Amino acid sequence: MPLLAQHGRYLNDSQHPSIGKPEAIAAGAKFFGGSCTGCHGPDGGGGARGPNLVHRSLWHPLSDEAIFQVIRKGVPGTDMPPTQLTDEQTWSLVAYIHALTGPASTNVIPGDAAAGRATYWGAKAGCSGCHAVLGQGGRLAPDLSNVGGSRPIAMIRESILEPAKDLFFLGNEAATVVLKNGQTLSGVARNRSNYSLQLVDTKGILHLISMTDVKELTLSASTPMPTDYGKRLSRVELRDLLAYLATLDSRPAAEKGGK
Amino acid sequence: MRHLLAFGLAFALGAVAQVRHDELAKGAGDDWLTYAGTYAGWRYSPLTQVTADNAKNLVPKWVYHVPGARGLQSSPIVYQGVMYVTSTNALTAIDARTGRRVWQYSDPRAQKAGVNRGAAIWGDRVYFTTSDNYLVALDRHSGVLIFNKKFADIAMGTTSTSAPLIARGKVIVGSSGGDSGMRGFIMALSADTGETLWKTYTIPAKGEKGAETWGNLIDYGGGAAWLSGTYDPQLNTLYWTTGNPWPDYNGDVRPGDNLYTCSLLALDLETGKMKWYFQFTPHDTHDWDAQSWPVLLDTEINGKPRKAVLHANRNGFFYALDRVTGEFLRATQLIDKVTWAKGIDAKGKPIQLPNIEPTPQGNWICPSVKGATNWMGQSYNPLTGLLYVLTLEQCGMYFRSSQEPQPMKNFSGGGATEEGGQVVLRALDPKTGKRAWEYPMTGTGRMWTGTVSTAGGVIFSGDDDGHFLALNAKNGKNLWHFNLGEMLTASPVIYSVDGKQYVAVASATAVFSFGLFEPAVGVDPPVIRLRK
Repeated sequence: MPLLAQHGRYLNDSQHPSIGKPEAIAAGAKFFGGSCTGCHGPDGGGGARGPNLVHRSLWHPLSDEAIFQVIRKGVPGTDMPPTQLTDEQTWSLVAYIHALTGPASTNVIPGDAAAGRATYWGAKAGCSGCHAVLGQGGRLAPDLSNVGGSRPIAMIRESILEPAKDLFFLGNEAATVVLKNGQTLSGVARNRSNYSLQLVDTKGILHLISMTDVKELTLSASTPMPTDYGKRLSRVELRDLLAYLATLDSRPAAEKGGK
Repeated sequence: MRHLLAFGLAFALGAVAQVRHDELAKGAGDDWLTYAGTYAGWRYSPLTQVTADNAKNLVPKWVYHVPGARGLQSSPIVYQGVMYVTSTNALTAIDARTGRRVWQYSDPRAQKAGVNRGAAIWGDRVYFTTSDNYLVALDRHSGVLIFNKKFADIAMGTTSTSAPLIARGKVIVGSSGGDSGMRGFIMALSADTGETLWKTYTIPAKGEKGAETWGNLIDYGGGAAWLSGTYDPQLNTLYWTTGNPWPDYNGDVRPGDNLYTCSLLALDLETGKMKWYFQFTPHDTHDWDAQSWPVLLDTEINGKPRKAVLHANRNGFFYALDRVTGEFLRATQLIDKVTWAKGIDAKGKPIQLPNIEPTPQGNWICPSVKGATNWMGQSYNPLTGLLYVLTLEQCGMYFRSSQEPQPMKNFSGGGATEEGGQVVLRALDPKTGKRAWEYPMTGTGRMWTGTVSTAGGVIFSGDDDGHFLALNAKNGKNLWHFNLGEMLTASPVIYSVDGKQYVAVASATAVFSFGLFEPAVGVDPPVIRLRK
């Protein structure tokens, strides 16, 4: 998973004592909420004027020192202005941006996780029809058992609202295959080539198929994930759903870290 | 939903095949379901498509490069055409016909990135452990996480490297980390929930029986259990080996035999209670862990039929014990050059020679620290009646440090070198302990590949120079070889899909699978309809 690998390297490179320090992150959050969200969005997910900081940091991580300098000096020729913050204040902002790009479960996410849980498992959102959490739910879409422990909240939000945007569905292509023996199987193609197809069907059963046995393969041109969650859910429901997803962590905090 | 697929909300596995006791107890066939293929530790396959006559027609079928892997030590398991291979804190499901990845689970947040020796399967789940002691259960079809359960604390100096062994719904795991001071253990965890069912320490607590064989360092005595064991379903007994005492090379600070290090333990599956133990190397000072497989075999030893357990030990000797009682039956020399003991006495104790301890200046002892053999898998073939063991003729310098021992600080009380040496694959007769034949290899003693053998009369293993090879199981005659281009670091397995037999091995960075040559058939690109 290149996202995580890069993210891991980014975090491990952190040297400054503010990074990961709750007080600094909280102070940074105040600065961010006051001056940055207008362009970069409330969770760093980007807006009309400012880029998505979460994507930026995951794919092309800047060093902490470089982020510090960008905040201090701005980016000439763009809308990003220089700031007048002290060193300590600037570092707290760097620490907050760090936290935004870290796993959702390590941040304070607004919303009612219990209500979000009901939304997740309810019929209106219908998430569990395709996604599993600790083995409960469908097998067709990516496992969400650790989504809060592995993804920044801005990315989770984006995959709900714009699931087709970043080809997140590759490895989960909706597929229907008619075999030469007359059998028809429907599910997702976990992998495929001109020679073989690895298909998990709607019951969650894996089928290893040779393409020489296939009469017809039909693939969905886009993600099987519904693309109408922006309309289907209210703002509050979406907020609460995000709060619930942020709690999904395969290494609960209580178990982390040794003694 | 916008798209045409009707994704059912109800999810049920219905009549899909499940791996249960009978499948595991039956041993290898089309599937390879446990680390050693059979509970008895035989690494034997009854498949006969590849024979000593046609092994010359073996060709590579596919290669899967495991992302980020170095020195893969995983022995794959295979079930219904899917291969499960572990690497550091990761498990990958591969289409065993084509080498295409089906899914991968990885846990980049694990607190340590160590080696992993393999997965286990039960029901419709596959299991493995992370380096920081989590038992991970995954749905075998889709790879979704069922549970991720911590069973030991890495802060106590223990890590996890071995493939779990599953017996009657109990997942048996062991502890690694014995070279830096910790208290070794073997645990049974519930396959359903990951909950602990029992935990048996390999080192007694202060005041317990056996504690008198230690000094003050008993709390950090080592005795790691870093290799899968074997299991006798009739006796309902697990056979598990233990590693060296700590600190490895300085024995003065731990006077006594240091029970139960460098030992074979017989444990009751239900309770974990020790039925008996046998210590191969009392008070070890050469890091000769007892980690090589306890091979379970009913055979005649010293003229009497026995339920035996065979053990080729790192200390240079090949042992046969009664696996019901633990009684010592026989020991023969495994390698030619052993300089620390002149033999094993009638009770199974080594007859030690003088001046064998590591010294500050270094003491030249055979075998080397890598041992006369190690964790490379052995194979017993019931058709030839022979046991195939990778052995190493190698000596080395052993040094002792006088520093104060510090647990969990990577301190081993000295050090050791391995110098020169030769790997020899040896066929041993379990009835006598004598060699039937041997196959010497070119190299410098760096390989870690074990053996697998088949009813087709073929042994597969690796040369000590990066070649994968096939030998005639009867006489050791070389049949075939293939240069993998990197040193082999794990043991091969045999499986069959759609009536075709394969032999697969994880090398340093990749999994290779071989089968008999078939002319290629051109495949037209598929006709794919896109649905908006």
